[in-house]
Amino acid sequence: MGKLISAILTRAVLGGLIVVALGPILWTVLGAFKELRDIVTPVPKVFFEPTLDNFATILRNPTIRDGLLNSVIVVSAAVLVGAVLGIPAAHTLARHARKWGDDVQFFVLSLRFMPPVAIAIPFIVIYLDLGIYDTLFGLVLVYLIVTVSTVIWLAVPAFERVPRNIEEAAAMEGCGPAEIFWRFSLPVAAPSLFGALVFTFVLVWNELLLALTLAAQNATLPVVAASITSLGKEVPWGVINAATVLLVLPPLVFIGLLMGLLNTMVRSGPK
Amino acid sequence: MTRKRFVTLTLVPAIGLLATLALVSIAGAVWFAVMNRTLRSPDYDFVGAYNFLRLLRDRRFFNALEISAIWEAVTVAGTLALAVFLAVLIFETVKKPLYRNLICFAFLVPVLLPRVAAAFIWRFLYSPSLGVLNYLCGLVGIGPVEFLADPSLALISVAAVDIWQWGLFFSVILLKLLETLPRDPIEAAMLDNARTWEIHAFVTLPMLRGPLISLALVKAVESLRSFDLIFVMTGGGPGTATETLDLYAYQMGINMGGRISYASAMSLLLLVVTTVAFTIIWKAGKKWAS
Repeated sequence: MGKLISAILTRAVLGGLIVVALGPILWTVLGAFKELRDIVTPVPKVFFEPTLDNFATILRNPTIRDGLLNSVIVVSAAVLVGAVLGIPAAHTLARHARKWGDDVQFFVLSLRFMPPVAIAIPFIVIYLDLGIYDTLFGLVLVYLIVTVSTVIWLAVPAFERVPRNIEEAAAMEGCGPAEIFWRFSLPVAAPSLFGALVFTFVLVWNELLLALTLAAQNATLPVVAASITSLGKEVPWGVINAATVLLVLPPLVFIGLLMGLLNTMVRSGPK
Repeated sequence: MTRKRFVTLTLVPAIGLLATLALVSIAGAVWFAVMNRTLRSPDYDFVGAYNFLRLLRDRRFFNALEISAIWEAVTVAGTLALAVFLAVLIFETVKKPLYRNLICFAFLVPVLLPRVAAAFIWRFLYSPSLGVLNYLCGLVGIGPVEFLADPSLALISVAAVDIWQWGLFFSVILLKLLETLPRDPIEAAMLDNARTWEIHAFVTLPMLRGPLISLALVKAVESLRSFDLIFVMTGGGPGTATETLDLYAYQMGINMGGRISYASAMSLLLLVVTTVAFTIIWKAGKKWAS
């Protein structure tokens, strides 16, 4: 009897927790397929005739389409440059910098302490004076603070986990430091590095404040989504839900990767 | 290529770029903070400490300071409390690896959501006329509850979303850490007839002191980035009930007449306080954790 109760209890706990985590999201996904009259009901409707109108509205709206395109361009450029600059720097910090490496790493970390608004307000004036306000280039430039520092921060431990004897053997064979990095350390660390890049991607994809202040017409998807509420008098909940789904999809693709990254981090000892 | 050249070539572009951007924004904030620049006109003059003196007489600034402090405290404490509770609960009740993995996957979803998306999802649930939460409240005979329009509830309602995102995420990390702990001390405590909660309160959680402190620090830094969530959910309202410092600086500098210099002074204060505080706390925390 006691066993039965504990088994039921387990199931109940399990189900309850998953509802808490996923329920709100699933409800929004349902809402994205509802017509407004199925949303504005006194009793929430679970069964209804699904419609694709909301998604059609979104994809036909030029502002949202541009926002999506801008997001893709800005985020991939910022992550790419972040990787090209950050990964070699992280390798050097992990392997060639003993004395002052910690100070440089702390400087990189301390950029994360900076409140975004303290970056945004001076930059808006500087951008206006330079004439790069509301350009994709300007957004990429300011996002480099986020991407370069995050890539370095996450890639240093990845390179530290590369077994030293691989690099030492290569050095014995007469390989220079650049060759060791490119041919030996980089391939070994690649899986963790990919995880680091994904994490960086999610961070900038989700960013709102900097894009909101430094761009007007050329804004990214979060900015466009945040402004939907002010279209028209009635709050278009179906459309908002569909936009939310669109915004949520790219980061969710990487959930398996995040899980793997967590597993390696926990196994290699918490920082 | 020599080692020295390799070090220079790899490090200088990345660190140089970061240092330049950081310096430009800090120098810019300092420069504008002692001027009277606005977005409307390109002309400006030196005004010295005028902006800072005005901050000291600005009640809305002190309100924002207070809201920011409450936000930090509530979200950090709430996240850690929820994470510890859920990690222990799952660790004790769900034993099958398959079920555990299912829960872990489900718990990782919220933190991956863009803040804007999370904000919309919960605004939909909180909505007084068509939200599911108010329907549930109605079933037990309360409501409709104005989660986001009631000044005494709004901040907690928004903080709950932040805790939902980060608390579930941290509970996955804690669960994985609990799984890596050695079994011996736990079994020794069980032989002493310790109750389950006693084992966790006195044996396992003290063993995880280091990671718990690290998690608290990470959350404290991330909580500073509250702008997205609050901006979409309440916009700082009702009144100024959820207006944190970054929201107020944004409203001053960009939305309301673009008083760049006043907003710069404010964000400069914010920058100095957070950087100094976190540098001290971070270094002390690392020492204490190890």
